[in-house]
Formats: sequence, C-alpha cells, structure tokens
Amino acid sequence: MKKILLHGIVSGILAAIAGVIYFIIYQNTLGTAFGKIVNIQSIAGSSVLGTMIIASGYALLFKTGKMKFAGWYNVFVSVASFATIIGPISMSLPLTIENPELFTGLVVPMHFFPALSYFTIAPFFNK
Amino acid sequence: MKNLKLIAAALVIFVASAFTAANSISWKIADGYSIKFESKDPSGAFTKFKGDIVFDEQNLSASKFDVAVDAASINTGNGMKNKKAKGDKFFEVDKYPEIKFVSNTFSKTATGYEVKGTLDMHGVKKEITIPFTFSKNTFTGSFTVNRLDYNVGPEGGLAGHAAKELTIDISVPVTRQ
Repeated sequence: MKKILLHGIVSGILAAIAGVIYFIIYQNTLGTAFGKIVNIQSIAGSSVLGTMIIASGYALLFKTGKMKFAGWYNVFVSVASFATIIGPISMSLPLTIENPELFTGLVVPMHFFPALSYFTIAPFFNK
Repeated sequence: MKNLKLIAAALVIFVASAFTAANSISWKIADGYSIKFESKDPSGAFTKFKGDIVFDEQNLSASKFDVAVDAASINTGNGMKNKKAKGDKFFEVDKYPEIKFVSNTFSKTATGYEVKGTLDMHGVKKEITIPFTFSKNTFTGSFTVNRLDYNVGPEGGLAGHAAKELTIDISVPVTRQ
C-alpha cells in the first residue's frame, strides 16, 4: 500500500518536472504568454494530483483484492487522460491573451504526463 | 455668359468645400480601442481596427467615419472557435478580409449622437444606425447585428448554434490630428 502511494508521489514529481520543462520550452520557442492561465505551481499541483488519483485507483484494487483488473484499470486511465483534453480544447481564454489557438498545444500533452510517468516507472515499484 | 455662371458655381462649390474641410476635425485612432461582440455564444473581440475619422460636434454634416475591422483579427478566446469563425462557414476572411463601415449622416440625440451608414460585412452591404457618445476623446457605441443578415454562418446544423443576434460594443480613443 505504501509502495503504491510512493509510486504516485514519485511519478507525480517526475510528471511535474516534465510538464515544467515542456512549459518553458514551449513558451520560449513559440513566444506565447500563457503564464496567467498556466504556471509552474498549477502544473506541479495538477501533475501530482493526477498521479495520486491513478495511485488511489490501484490502492482500491489492492485493498479489494482485485489486482487482476489492473490491466483494465490502465486502459481506463489512458482513456480518461485522453478524455480530459476536451477541457483545454473547449476552454475560452481571456481576450487579452493572444494566439489562443496555441494554448491546446501547450496543455494537451501535459494531460498525458501523469499516466505516462506512472506507467514508465511502474516496473521499479512492482518488484 | 453661361460659361461665366458655370465658373462662378464651381468657384462657390470649391470655396464652400474648402470652408467645410477647414472646419472639420480629423482624429487619429489611438491604442487601446476595443471592438467587442457579445452573445450567449460566442463572445469575443476584433483586435485590428483602422480608418479615417472626421468628427466635429459643432459641424456634424462635415463629419465622416470610414473605418474597417480586420476580419482575421477575430478572437473568441478559443483557438478552435477562431479558426471556425475565419473559415468558409462564417467570415471567409480570405475572400472578405475587412468589415467596413462608411457613414452617411450624423445626428444629435438626447444621449449623444447617431450615425447612419453602410456596414459592409461578408460581401453584404446594409444600412445601419449606430448610437454613440463622444467624451474625453473617446467614441463609445453599442448596437446589435444579426449575422444572418450578412450571410455569416449557417442558420441550422452544428455551426448554426452560434447566436444570431450579437451586441457590438465599441470604444475608440482618438487623438486630434
């Protein structure tokens, strides 16, 4: 159980680091200014929240003795991550922010970072 | 004799027009203008605006608005909506890059002024009246437009859910030229 929570925290930190690096590269290469909508704190917070939600699901499976459904749960996490991109796609930004069409390119990949991070380091925690 | 009369008439017209021009005040559009549109969905603004403004509160007959909005500068705050608005179902900005307004007459009202003129949008010209005020070197006006009058967007279907009636709020600060 502790291992699952640790898995959630570590993968959340890694997702946050990836998100922040991507945010900085994106802003600098495209010259966008989405800092009022997305910032380092919100990226870090939502990344850790995302992986902790994923970890909670695993914890629930573990507690109820239904770890055989872990594969299906992984599928669910991937589909859910994909479904969440509807948020930034349909979001209307304040009119003072230029090039809103570039906003989805910044945020959509980040929605996959928690799942990607969680699944990537899973073998280290499944020993 | 007839020629003399024609010359005299031309001279009178020339002098009168020169006098009018001398009395009219030209204004330069300053930064900080806003051309916003509002409805249940969509709302947004056009961010590029240019034109010639001649306005004299004491000489409305010599006043003239000849302004244009860059249709491609539409910003709804959402990239997908912006693309749709610029596309062939709505403004067709490649074909109709500007939304123009040219005034015909000005009149004074109880609350400010009123300008009648031609709004040329999406290849359709229509006479409209815009009530406005002029205070602290800023023109402020508000009016409604039905997008279907200008064949902007479909009436039904998926794209047809966009509001038909939109309120246009204009605020244009100017400096005297």
